[in-house]
Amino acid sequence: MLNVPESIDGGLLAPDRSLRALLVKWLVALLIPVVVFTFLWSGEALENNVLLAIFSPQNSILSDVPSVVQAGIFCAVFYATVIALVGYLVAADNGRRGRYGTIELWADMIAYTVAPILLISWTNDLVIGLALSVIVISIYLFVRKRVRDVLHYSPPAPLTDIQVFDEEQRGFLIRKARIGSLWFAAIFAIISLIADIIFLLLGSLSTILLIWAAIRTLVLPIAGYFLGWLGGIVAARQTLREGTNGTTKNGTSLSGKVSKRQQLEGLSTTRAREEARNLVPNDQPLQNRGTLRFCIVIIAAFVLFYPALDPVFFAFGTNGRLVGYDDLGYYVILALGLNIVVGFAGLLDLGYVAFFVLGTYTWALVGSDQFTVITGIVTNPQIWPWLFWPMLIIGAIIAALWGVLLGAPTLRLRGDYLAIVTLGFGEIIPLFFQNLDKYTKGTSGISGIYHPLTPCASSLPSIPWLRFLSWLPCIDWSSYNPVPYYYLILAIIVLCIFANLRLRDSRLGRAWIAIREDEIAASSSGINLVKAKLFAFAAGAFFAGIAGAYHAAKLGTVASSDFNTTDSFVYLAMVVIGGLGSIPGVLLGAVIVYSLNQLILAQLDSIATNPGSFLYGFKQLFPSFNFTDIRNLLFGLLLIAIMLFRPEGLIPSARRRRELHQHAEEAAEVGALDEPPGAPGFEEEIRVE
Amino acid sequence: MMSFDQTRFTGTPAVAEPLVRALLELDAVTKQFGGLKAVEAVTFKVYPGQIVSIIGPNGAGKTTVFNLITGLYRPSSGDIRLAGQSLIGLSPDKVVLRGLARTFQNIRLFNNMTVLENVLVGLHTQLKAGIVGSLFRPPAIVREEANARKRAIELLSFFGTALVERQEEYVMNLSYADRRRVEIARALAANPRLLLLDEPTAGMNEAETLEAVKYIRRLRDELGLTILLIEHKLTVTMGISDHIVVLDHGRKIAEGLPEQVRHNEEVIAAYLGKPTGAQGRTAD
Amino acid sequence: MVYGIIELINFAHGDIFMMGTLVTLTIMNWFGIVAENPPQSLTWDLVAKLIITAIGSFLVCAILGVIIERVAYRPLRNAPRLAPLISAIGVSLVLQDTGKLWKGNTDIPFPSLPFGTFQVGAVSISSITVFMLLIALILMVGLHLLVTRTRLGRAMRAVAQDREAAALMGVNVNRIISITFFIGAGLAGAAGFIYSLQFPNTNFSIGYDLGLVAFTCAVLGGIGNIVGAMVGGLIIGIVRSLVSEIPGTVLPHGGDAWVSAVVYGVLILILVFRPSGLLGQQTPEKV
Repeated sequence: MLNVPESIDGGLLAPDRSLRALLVKWLVALLIPVVVFTFLWSGEALENNVLLAIFSPQNSILSDVPSVVQAGIFCAVFYATVIALVGYLVAADNGRRGRYGTIELWADMIAYTVAPILLISWTNDLVIGLALSVIVISIYLFVRKRVRDVLHYSPPAPLTDIQVFDEEQRGFLIRKARIGSLWFAAIFAIISLIADIIFLLLGSLSTILLIWAAIRTLVLPIAGYFLGWLGGIVAARQTLREGTNGTTKNGTSLSGKVSKRQQLEGLSTTRAREEARNLVPNDQPLQNRGTLRFCIVIIAAFVLFYPALDPVFFAFGTNGRLVGYDDLGYYVILALGLNIVVGFAGLLDLGYVAFFVLGTYTWALVGSDQFTVITGIVTNPQIWPWLFWPMLIIGAIIAALWGVLLGAPTLRLRGDYLAIVTLGFGEIIPLFFQNLDKYTKGTSGISGIYHPLTPCASSLPSIPWLRFLSWLPCIDWSSYNPVPYYYLILAIIVLCIFANLRLRDSRLGRAWIAIREDEIAASSSGINLVKAKLFAFAAGAFFAGIAGAYHAAKLGTVASSDFNTTDSFVYLAMVVIGGLGSIPGVLLGAVIVYSLNQLILAQLDSIATNPGSFLYGFKQLFPSFNFTDIRNLLFGLLLIAIMLFRPEGLIPSARRRRELHQHAEEAAEVGALDEPPGAPGFEEEIRVE
Repeated sequence: MMSFDQTRFTGTPAVAEPLVRALLELDAVTKQFGGLKAVEAVTFKVYPGQIVSIIGPNGAGKTTVFNLITGLYRPSSGDIRLAGQSLIGLSPDKVVLRGLARTFQNIRLFNNMTVLENVLVGLHTQLKAGIVGSLFRPPAIVREEANARKRAIELLSFFGTALVERQEEYVMNLSYADRRRVEIARALAANPRLLLLDEPTAGMNEAETLEAVKYIRRLRDELGLTILLIEHKLTVTMGISDHIVVLDHGRKIAEGLPEQVRHNEEVIAAYLGKPTGAQGRTAD
Repeated sequence: MVYGIIELINFAHGDIFMMGTLVTLTIMNWFGIVAENPPQSLTWDLVAKLIITAIGSFLVCAILGVIIERVAYRPLRNAPRLAPLISAIGVSLVLQDTGKLWKGNTDIPFPSLPFGTFQVGAVSISSITVFMLLIALILMVGLHLLVTRTRLGRAMRAVAQDREAAALMGVNVNRIISITFFIGAGLAGAAGFIYSLQFPNTNFSIGYDLGLVAFTCAVLGGIGNIVGAMVGGLIIGIVRSLVSEIPGTVLPHGGDAWVSAVVYGVLILILVFRPSGLLGQQTPEKV
C-alpha cells in the first residue's frame, strides 16, 4: 500500500494514481470550506481590509494599527494552517477508504464547516450561528444514519493493524505532504486570482489589490511547499517507530520497557481503536490528534484576535456582541467549575448559584461605597479599585471555604439527598443576601462598584512606587467598553481550562473518578472520601467565586434580584448538555445554553416585530405570545431530548461514552458474578456507622 | 517498598510462638444488625507470615468479619487490633494507612479506568500530591508521578508480562481472572502488611484456581505479606493455609491446623457432610 | 411514593400540582363558577359540581403523570442516576411554561366559595379547613392501606425494593410504575383542587415552590415512608407558621422572608444527623 515510488521528484508534479486519489479527496474536502469562508463570508474582506488599511487607510474598516496587525496575523495564520493541514491529511491518510469514504468525507465537511460558516454569516452572530449549527449537524447526522441504512452501507471498522515506520517511509510521508500542500495552495491561488479578475472586470478592484493578487498567486504555491513540509513533519511524528524492544524476562525486573507496539497489540479491539486513532497512517485522519492541533491553532488565533476581527466579519455592532461574549465568558467559567463537582467527582450540586452570589458580593461589598457603609473605614477611590486583582483570588478563596462549609453536611448522604441539600443552600444563601439588606442593600442593589485598574499614566499618580509603569497605554475599564473585559475573561478561561486539565490528570483527579465509580472500593483503596469530596466542592466554588468577582466588576451594579435559584439548573444544564467531565463539551454546552437563554429567543422576538418576516404572521395569531416566555419550555424540551437521545452530552469525554454505551459495543468479558455498572443497585451508597 | 526477595518467608509455622506478637487480633467481636447477630464473639489471631483462612457455610458471617476489620462496619462490641493498635472507629481509608488492604468478593474495580489507572489509585496512600501540587506540578510532583507509574508497572509484573502489556486496557474488557489480578495489584499498591482476600478463587476453573493458589503463596513468600483469606473451596483452603478459622452462623466453631479442622465433628456437621464447597458463592 | 419506587426525585411533581390547580379552575369556569361572580350559597348543586371538579382534576393529572413517565422517565430507567433527574428538571420547566402560556404570567384568582366557619372555643375554624383535613386524612389512610394491604400495594413495594426480583416474580414492572405515577400524579391533582378551595389565587410558579416544600417534608420524614411524610409535613407546617410570626424587630424583614431558609435549614440539620430522614429505614448495603 505504501510503495516508495522510484522517482520521487517526478512525483511532485505527476503523482501516481493512489496519491492522486488522495489529493483529489483532500483538496476538494478542504477547498470547499476555505472557498466558502473566503468568498461567501469574510475571508476575502479580511484580506482586503488589511491591505487597504496599510496602503489606503480611508478605505478600510480597520482603523488603528493594533487591529490591522491582529487581523493581518490572523489572516496569515489561518491560511498557513489550513495549507499545512492539507499536507498533513494527505500524508496521514492510508488510502483505505474508497470512493464512498471520499463522498462521505465531503458531505461531512459541508455539514461540519460550511453549514456553520453560512449560518454564522446569515445570522450575523457567532454564538447564535454556532448554536444553530449544532441543530443542523444533529439533523445531518440523523439523515446520514438513515441514508446509510437505506444503502446498507456501514463504514468499515477502523484499521487496527499497526505499521511501524522507518526513516525512509517517514521521508516519503513528508514528501506526500509537500505535494498535497503545494497543489492546494496553487489551486487556491488560482481560484483567488480568477475571483479577483472577475472583480477587476466588474470594475471594483483597486490597483493595490491587483498587485497583491499577482504577488499572492506566485507566493502561495511556494509557501504551500514549505507548509506541506511542516504538515509532513507533524504526520511523521505520529507514526509508530521501531521502539525499544523490551525484552521481557519472566516475572521479575520488568521495568516497563514494553514497546508501544507490543502494548497496542495486546489491547482489545475497542481500546486499540482508541489508541490507533491517533496514529499515522490512518483511516480517518480528521479525527486524529494531529488535526486537532491544527484546528486549535486556528481557533486560538480567532479567539485571541477576535475584537479586531469582529468589525470585518460582522459589520457594525461590535460592542454589543462583545458584551454578550463577556457574559458568555463567565458562564463558561461557571460551567468549568461545576464540571469539577458534577463531572469529575460525580457530586450532584443543584445549588451552585450560591457560590456565584458569594463571589459577586465579595467584590461588590469590598469594592464600592458599601464597604464604607459597613465598616466605617473611608477608602480612597483612587487606590481602592486596585484591590480588584487580589480580591479576584481572595473572593475565590472565600467561595472555596464556603464550598467546604456547604459541602460538609452532604458527605454522608446518598446522591439524591445530596442534591436536595445543595438545592437548599442554593436557596438559603441568596436569601441571606436579599434579607440582610442593611449590609447588602438587597434588592435595591449596590451601584458604583469599582472597575479594575491597570497601570497607566492616569491611574498611577497615587501609587508613586509604580510610576515607572506609567508609559503603559491606559485601558478604559468602564462598563461601556467591553474589549478589556473580553481579554480578561479570556485569560481567566484559559487559566481555568489549564487548572481543570491539571486537576483531572492528577492524583486528586484519579481519586475523584474512583469515588464516582465506586465509593466503597475507593475508600478501601485508601482514598479519604471526606477530603476528596470537600476538595471537589472547594475547587468548584473557587471558580464560581472568580466568575462572581468578574461579574461584579464588569457590571458595576449588583442586586439580589439578579440571582435566581433556577440559575443553578441553567448551569447544570450547561454541563450536562455539553458532556459531563469533558472540557470541550462543557464549553460547547455553555455556548448553547447561553445562546438559548439570552440570545436566540430575544432575537426571535425582535424578528417577529418586523412585518417582513414570517414570524410576524405568527405573532398576529397569538398577540400575547412572546418568544422569551417560552424560554423555559424550550430549555426543558432540550434537556429531555438530550437525556433521551444523547445522555452522555454533545462532546462527551471518552470515559462517559464508554460508560453509557457499553452495551452497544462488543460484549465485554465480564464475569457472571459481577454487577454491570448500569444495574439499579450498582450505585447505592453505604451507610458507614 | 516491598522487594521481590525470595528468601524471606518459607515454611509454615506450626505453632504460634508466644514471643511473636500477633499481627491481627480479633477480640470477642460482635456485630448486630437490628435483631440479627451477624457476627458473635469471634476471637482469633493472625501471626505475621501466616496464611490464615476463614471458612464456613454460606451466611456464616465471613465477609462481615472482613468488613468489620477494614472499617466498613463498626463492631457492636469487641476489639480489633492490628499490630497492637485498635482499628475500631477508623474509616476504611485510615485502615489502609495502618497497613491493611483487601479485595472484594464481587471484584470492585473501577471499570472505566485502565489497568494502570486502577493500580495508580491503589497507590493513593503512597503519594503526596495535593491540590497545590496537582495544579502547579513542581518537579517533585512530576517525579512522584513518574515513580508511581514505574511502581504500578512493577506491581503488575508480579503476575508476569500479560498485564503489563495490557496496561492501557480498560479493566472491563479483561477476563475475570485478569480482573482478579488487577484488584490484587491495586491492593498491593497500598504497601500493606496484611492482605485480606475475599474468595480469590471464586468463579475460577481448575487451572485458574491452581494459578491463583500459586500466586497467593508467592504473595506471602516473595513479598512477605501476611494473608487472611475467605475461601469456599476446601481443597484450596486445606492446601494453602497455615491456620484455619471456621465460622457458622456468626460464631467461631473451630480453629486450628487444616488437619485438625478437617476432622472436627462440628465443622463437618456445619457443612452437612458436603465434601467440598462446590456450591458456588453467595453473599455472606 | 414515586421516589420510593423509581428512586427519582420527581421535580415535576410540584408542577403537576400546579397544573391541577389550573385544571380545577378551568373546570370550575366551565361550570360557571367564576371568580368575578362567586356563588353565594352552598347548595347541593354546587357540591356536586365541586365533586366532579375534584375527580376531573385527579384524572387529568393522573393521565398527565403517566404520559410524563412514559416519555421522559421510562427510557432512562437504566441510565446513570443523573439522567432522569435532568429529565425531570426539563419536565418541570416545560410544565411551568405551559402553565404560563395557558393562563398567563400573573396570579389568577380562584372563585371564593361560600363555606362557613365553626367556632371552637376562642378559635374560629373555617369549614374548608376541616374539610381539607378530612380529605387529607382519608387520602393518607387510603394510601397507606393501599400500599400495605392490597396486592397492588405489595407489588409496588416489591418493585421499590428490587426491580429485577419483582420482575422475576411475575410483576409487570412497567405497569406497576405507570400505576404508581397515575396515583401519585392524581393525588397531586386532587391536592390542586383542595388548594383551590382554601387559597385565593394560583400562579404558574407555585408548583416549583410548593413542590420543593413537599419534597422536603417527604425527605424529612424518611423517603419511602408514608407515615414519615405525614410527620414531616406536620413538622414543616408548624415550623413555617411559627417562623412567619417572628416580627421584624428580631429578624430583618420579619420571619416571613426567612421561612424557606429555615425550612431548608431544618432539613439540612436533620439529614446531617439522620441521613435517611426521621423515620426512614437505614438499609446498609451488602458488600
